[in-house]
Amino acid sequence: MTSYYRPGSASEAVAILAANPGAMVIAGGTDLVIDRRLGRADPRAPLVDVTGINELRGVRWDGDELHLGATATISAIESDPAVIVRTSALAEAARVLGSVQIRNMATLGGNLCTASPAAEMVPPLMVHDAVAAIRGPAGERRQAVADVVTGPRTTILASGEILTNVRLRAPALSGSCYLRQTVRWAMDLAGVGVAAWVLTDGTGREAAVQEARVALGAVAPTAVLVPGLESLLAGAPPTTERLGAVSAAASAACEPISDTRGTAEHRRHVAGVLAARALSIAHARAAGLWSGGLAPVNGRASAVTSSGERA
Amino acid sequence: MRSDYAVVGKRIPKLDAPDKVTGRTVYADDLKLSGLLTAAIKRSPHPHARILSVDVSAAEALPGVYAVIHAGNVTQRPFGFGHDNTPLKDRVVRCVGDEVAAVAAVDAATAQRALDLISVDYELLPAVDDPFEALQPGAPRIHDELDIEGNVSMEWNFQTGDLAEAERRSAVIVSGSYSSPQAAPAPIETHVVIAGFDADGALEVISPVHMVFMYRKELADCLGLDWRRITVRQPPVGGSFGGKIDIDAHDFIAVMLARAARRPVKLAMSREEEFTGTRTRQPIHFQLRTGAAADGTLLFRHAEVVSDNGAYNAWGSHALLVAMNTVTSMYRVGTSRLNAKVVYTNKNYGGSVRGFGNPQATFAVEQQMEELADALGMDPMDLRLKNANRPGDVTPQGLEITSCGLSECLETVRRKSSWDQRRGRMRRQHRGLGAAAYVHVGGGARIYGSDGCGAMTKIDDSGRVALISGSSELGQGSETALAMIVAETLGVPLEAVSVSHDDTDVKPWDVGVHASRTTFVAGNAARMAAAKARDELLKGAAEVLDRPARSLTIRDGVISVPGEPTATLRYEKAVRRRLLREGSSIIMTSAFYDPPTQRQDENYVGNISASYGFGAHVVEVEVDPDTGMVRVLGLWAAHDVGRAINPMSCEGQIEGGAVMGVGLALSEELPVEDGRFPAPNLHDYGMPTAMDAPPIDVTLIETADELGPFGAKGIGEGGIILPPAAIANAVADAVGVRPRSYPIRPWKLRRWIETGERSHVDKRPQLVRDVNAR
Repeated sequence: MTSYYRPGSASEAVAILAANPGAMVIAGGTDLVIDRRLGRADPRAPLVDVTGINELRGVRWDGDELHLGATATISAIESDPAVIVRTSALAEAARVLGSVQIRNMATLGGNLCTASPAAEMVPPLMVHDAVAAIRGPAGERRQAVADVVTGPRTTILASGEILTNVRLRAPALSGSCYLRQTVRWAMDLAGVGVAAWVLTDGTGREAAVQEARVALGAVAPTAVLVPGLESLLAGAPPTTERLGAVSAAASAACEPISDTRGTAEHRRHVAGVLAARALSIAHARAAGLWSGGLAPVNGRASAVTSSGERA
Repeated sequence: MRSDYAVVGKRIPKLDAPDKVTGRTVYADDLKLSGLLTAAIKRSPHPHARILSVDVSAAEALPGVYAVIHAGNVTQRPFGFGHDNTPLKDRVVRCVGDEVAAVAAVDAATAQRALDLISVDYELLPAVDDPFEALQPGAPRIHDELDIEGNVSMEWNFQTGDLAEAERRSAVIVSGSYSSPQAAPAPIETHVVIAGFDADGALEVISPVHMVFMYRKELADCLGLDWRRITVRQPPVGGSFGGKIDIDAHDFIAVMLARAARRPVKLAMSREEEFTGTRTRQPIHFQLRTGAAADGTLLFRHAEVVSDNGAYNAWGSHALLVAMNTVTSMYRVGTSRLNAKVVYTNKNYGGSVRGFGNPQATFAVEQQMEELADALGMDPMDLRLKNANRPGDVTPQGLEITSCGLSECLETVRRKSSWDQRRGRMRRQHRGLGAAAYVHVGGGARIYGSDGCGAMTKIDDSGRVALISGSSELGQGSETALAMIVAETLGVPLEAVSVSHDDTDVKPWDVGVHASRTTFVAGNAARMAAAKARDELLKGAAEVLDRPARSLTIRDGVISVPGEPTATLRYEKAVRRRLLREGSSIIMTSAFYDPPTQRQDENYVGNISASYGFGAHVVEVEVDPDTGMVRVLGLWAAHDVGRAINPMSCEGQIEGGAVMGVGLALSEELPVEDGRFPAPNLHDYGMPTAMDAPPIDVTLIETADELGPFGAKGIGEGGIILPPAAIANAVADAVGVRPRSYPIRPWKLRRWIETGERSHVDKRPQLVRDVNAR
């Protein structure tokens, strides 16, 4: 028999966790239920279901600040109209995570705290400089999302702590994009996932980059921010040469493995290709050049239906 | 062609579909039996090892364990082609997943604990997972108990015509190597077998196997049972794609456990076991050369083939039978030669998966058709049409081509894909079109003494018509097609017809479901039995209506005399009039249909099928050259089905096959590392989802085969054969490099784009002429 708790507040959840060492936090359960069944997680450990906690829910905008509750579902993020326009990378990552059924159950907090190297939502949160709120017996602390995941399946959360929300700002003249390469178009993990974020000094093709960030998923033990982009990009529009330098920097930031979703060499190369594409799209969005809607999954402009005769 | 049928040719949703989509269908794993034990298998974790000892004492002592078996405490005989396999391995394990011991216990948890308590000592042996390495002198010997050379399990050699002469006459010769991966049929329902003996020692097996009579005989042969006292029942099959044809080690193991435990047992594969412990599609490596005259006339085809068999000979060892047909008989090729070696490796072994060697062979043959066309400066469609098989042809292997819509299939996909306007003209957008066509058996395949199937019909007092067929339904739609054939033949409404085919005690003999044969062979048997029932029905009605039987017709269940509107009789009434009287009788008829075909002789010559199916695809792809990703934008399919008994079902078979083929072409493979599959699960195995399926445009070409039931030919496998070849051709059109192996993974294609893999063309005869002219 497994003990199951469904607290109504974050402080109650923290108290239950303190009283039940080894207890696991569950929200959508799309990873944890499988892990328990396969023995990757202790199937008898008590469960603390946090989906009943109001303060952990929801996707909410407050001016240019986006507040994402830990139990906000991936489909809620995918379908939020302002997320699609203002923090497009989050929507683009959300729409390729798992399947419709999984996205209806899976939560942002679960995706972050499961700490898979291929976690879809982590690179977009990192480029948006998101900050996680973590509640524990000693109260609340704030931590940059970039520092929350410390390795495959490990996070900075101490035993007894829960993630309550993630917050980020989406200022004017900023734009973002998330692209990935997979074997399949659905129900697959990223072979390579790349998020880019750009802040410009104005609109139009010649708008210069003020700040830029690129984060890579599935090419290292944790998602990584590509270092040194300011010197490559700041003060000018992202020309072909500059994007080439971004590609090289992204490839250099990878420490990939080889598996069924790609060889290490290929992942390193594709990280570079997708970094340039994502950055270019993010710039277009920041500079008001993007006509709206989500980008193609791999960032390559393409028609998806054939122009041949149809019966 | 006749089109005034009441039932045939109508779009009928599959009769078994409502139960399946609403979750009512009861599959083998859903069955509950009193006292049923759970079985589990202890498998080898090593690709090649000597078994030093097996200690089962701790497992036997575990409460709740009813039987623990291993090679040392059972009686079993070898099985498989060449008797190279035993259910429980005795001395040596030859692949990861090999069965070493098995338990039957009160529940799954106890069975698993018992497996953990079995201790097996192994001495590791050097393993080989590459067939070319296995052929080298000094390679590890995988079957040292067999009298074979160099791990070659069998050879298939065919030659006709003068190859040297054909080479001399060729203006262009293209050559290349083409490889395919190990792939899995991966049905939703994993293998399940339930076995139990009654108090008298009669055995009942419940299993979603679809060659039930063969299965029964092999069980008896291997385990020393009286096969007259074995009943095989087949519950609804949750998909097979060929994977459930073969009898496998686990089938014997379930029966041995039931015997040892004296209780019925159920053995159900986990998904991981389904990948590692049941049969796969074997990789086949082709070195192919094709030669043609300057006008495009094909002059020869020459294939040197190595088939990566895996550890034992299951059905996959015979996939060369089909591959050979494609090499010698696809298009009018004349001189042809094939030398194939089936080579043992320390891997999961090949079974019969949908297409059975044909996707692999067509990948080589049809890429070479487009390479040849490019070298000749011809359009590949023109080259194909010029050499297309035609009615009346007899191929080098003696295949007698009767109905043949190949040219019409090619012309259809050419037109619908706007081939002439677009092929070779979309390189700038990295888009391309590629085509491929196939020949495949469509009227049975005589690989046993008989290729027959029995059928019985009975009509009861309610008017219900029961067809009892020897064949099986495995999701392919045969139940619906057979019911339609019976309804049409008898002239009764489709709702009146039921189909039973699930019990060897009841149903008449059949070879089994394979080789796209069921609609043709079982359909003809059903048609013949129904025709006899119709004769009986009209004979009875003749007495009532006082008209000669031959003057009567029956349609929609009404027997009538043409021109006499009042002289009618419902068919149920005719049945009852015959039954409810002194000296009564009921209508029960039977028929057995064996197609007029030949087994191939020792030279592989013989007309093995009563008709042949043809089809053509054009695929449009877009390549992302920087990442190597291939996206299929469209697929146009035209298939010569003879006659579509149920067009909806035909289209479903073609679309399903095509999506499976797209998976083969782009993403499905079971990579092997150190003899192991690192990712034996559906998450990592690259099976396409609905989102990966391209728009598919299907055209059914009806050629009304003279021997098929209402003209129908087999279509179960056609859809899967072409996508690997057509997609490779489309990639070549899009980016100018030629994929020599599939799946066309992004990292492979990127490398080919970087290194520039091109066609190998030899125009030497023309060069010789040029030299001479000087």
